[in-house]
Amino acid sequence: MLVVRSSHKPSATKRTILALIVGIILFVGSNFIDEYRIFQGAQVAAYLVGIVSIVLLTGYSGQITLGQGAFMAVGSYSAALAVQEFGLPIWITFFIAVLAAALFGAIIGISAGRLSGPYLAGATLAFAVGIPALANAIPILGGEQGLSFDIGYAPGKYADTVSPYKWLFWICALCAIIAVVIAVNITSSGLGRQWRAVRAHETAAALCGINPARSKVMAFTVSSGFAGLAGVSFSATVGLVSPSGFTLALSFLLLTGAILGGISHISGALGGAIIVVIIPTVFESWTEEASLGVATYLPGIIVSALLLLSIALAPEGPSEALHKLRRKH
Amino acid sequence: MIRALKKRILAGVSLLAVTGLVVSGIPAQGAATPGVTKDTITLGMSSAQSGAASPGYNKVGPAMRAYFNYINEKGGVYGRKIELKLEDDKYVPTNAVNKVNKLILRDKVFALVGNLGTATHTAALKKTPIIKQSVPDLFVNTGYSGFANPKKYPTTFMYLPSYIMEAKIMAKYIKDKFPDKKVGILYQDDDFGKDGLAGFKAGGLTFVAGGTQKYASLSQATVGLTAQMTALKSSGAEVIILFGVTSATAVAMRTAAGLGYGTTWGPQFIMGSVGADPTTLLTLAGATTPALQAATLRSLTGALSLSFLPAATDTEDEYVKKFIEINTTYNKGVPWDNNVLVGMNQALLIVQALRAAGENPTRASLISALKSKGGTFASAGYSKLESANNVGYTGYWVGRYNSTGVIAPVDGGKPVVYTTDSSTANGDVAVSTFTRPAMPADGVPTNK
Repeated sequence: MLVVRSSHKPSATKRTILALIVGIILFVGSNFIDEYRIFQGAQVAAYLVGIVSIVLLTGYSGQITLGQGAFMAVGSYSAALAVQEFGLPIWITFFIAVLAAALFGAIIGISAGRLSGPYLAGATLAFAVGIPALANAIPILGGEQGLSFDIGYAPGKYADTVSPYKWLFWICALCAIIAVVIAVNITSSGLGRQWRAVRAHETAAALCGINPARSKVMAFTVSSGFAGLAGVSFSATVGLVSPSGFTLALSFLLLTGAILGGISHISGALGGAIIVVIIPTVFESWTEEASLGVATYLPGIIVSALLLLSIALAPEGPSEALHKLRRKH
Repeated sequence: MIRALKKRILAGVSLLAVTGLVVSGIPAQGAATPGVTKDTITLGMSSAQSGAASPGYNKVGPAMRAYFNYINEKGGVYGRKIELKLEDDKYVPTNAVNKVNKLILRDKVFALVGNLGTATHTAALKKTPIIKQSVPDLFVNTGYSGFANPKKYPTTFMYLPSYIMEAKIMAKYIKDKFPDKKVGILYQDDDFGKDGLAGFKAGGLTFVAGGTQKYASLSQATVGLTAQMTALKSSGAEVIILFGVTSATAVAMRTAAGLGYGTTWGPQFIMGSVGADPTTLLTLAGATTPALQAATLRSLTGALSLSFLPAATDTEDEYVKKFIEINTTYNKGVPWDNNVLVGMNQALLIVQALRAAGENPTRASLISALKSKGGTFASAGYSKLESANNVGYTGYWVGRYNSTGVIAPVDGGKPVVYTTDSSTANGDVAVSTFTRPAMPADGVPTNK
């Protein structure tokens, strides 16, 4: 699905057609799956976009981020505020979330672009910690209980026949498909090549006429826009925008998903998203009868173990390992 | 070539889209009552089993399960065994949505019982099919008055008296016993705390300048309450209300001790009922050594608190006595305390509600049974359960911690129970005349 390799890239048209087909399959498939799986599908779609945002920034542009949750929060709060304060229709708020988070990312990028490696990681970490706390302190953002963000029911006569979960899934899946198509197009465009050039060797890139600073800020901006979309999708799944939804744990979870899926390929994001959503559920149901304490902590341990294994055995992620294997044959 | 491919794809896409629309239009098949089989009734609960706010509350669910196991061993409810699916939402609203969705959609529970937390349950009611599928939502473990709203939440029933009731009773007590003292408050900054503030206002209690402090829920474990407690001290408040979760009370008391409470600073602390279980407070204060335990007890001694159940240490009470017995056998290794009492008492009510719902219970029959008969159920509560209006218990008594961490009625003897309602229009509080039904024989309900 949407596998893009540097050696053989489908054209933009083919990609769009492929995306359409995937969309149709998901649309039809959603009618045969039970509601809880549909709900999880919506979560996977939301996490997928979040992981794509990390892959773009870290995988392609080479800038480490530990604070993607903060950019998601900016997108979500903007969307919820747009509904609450201006009564805007929900669909517009998805664009607002993207724009607001991108703008925020641009501002952060301008200053953070001067940092690299652990210093950049530290700076983004500060945002992941600070943004939820800040949101808690601003009265208009609703404190700990946050703001409501309800995507409601399917329009018109479909409100009764289409379950709210299907409706939610369709919206989140649509966002994810659009995000993946745009991300793949970006990475195979001149912009993507610039990012990779800067990641590989800044000085060499500069000698080729690329402005590394501008390229990094651009990557920050674009990645934050994706994070904003992830944030608003995530909020749609829980109907709520609150500080406790955007904890440091979320940022780490997304990064974990990105690494597990393969940080250097957009295609790995789907695997990463499935792992971070499904693994906890699977292990919880296996262990909950044994002991709730085990059920609470085991998923975290499993995911962490997978992360360590992945770093030890396939540092660029399973998807990169698979690509290498295929190239060999 | 490409054009032909496009045509084929277009045709395929249209076919699939039409199929999708047709399939999505097929109504769901009618099914048997979810969560009820020939041999079992499955119930679900989402609560804080881990995380900052969980200490103490994480004992409520297992205590309910222990009582259900006791009943199961005595034959269950009309031959059906009760199973409780317990989920951990860590007191985080977004988690609660996930967990309640799982309980209703995947585990297909018959009813939700004892879901804990105001913000968490508000989120769950908004974004899970509790209302749409008419899932009975029994005895939520929060005193937020907004849940007793049959129009908005037709299937939700409260358990605790509302925070407004509690605040009104506290307001009356403070005005009666500490008429000229300056009063301060520390409250949790969400609907839980705001409900309380509304009650204090209705009860005519005013706070000293600078004496109204708040904390964000879940924040107290990480950032502490030093700023708030220092502000309360410098406001000159002589009576300080702690209206928060137990973990916040523990941090507040520890901070107060650091500010000289018990030596150079002597305000009267009054703690809300949900944040004042002594066993939990002792554990939270890190009371692992005798010296630390003594220090924690010193800081608790003399503090006031409210309760709607008998004191967990009142072993003369027939309910407490029986529950302790059940706890010893069916909840092995778990020390008996107020949280266990809360859970067991809740489970006792649930069993009676299930029985009242008939031999072949449906979600509708459970709700109507609770509405019509809930007020007559036997329970340890000292006040009436107003489940006819989806309200929980309606009264509180005031107690004081002694030097062994035991809460006892302030004036000695039997507790004086005050009763009121959730109206914010007045602060009327009366002494309750409610007579509590006796514990069913052997702790096994036989009601119909």
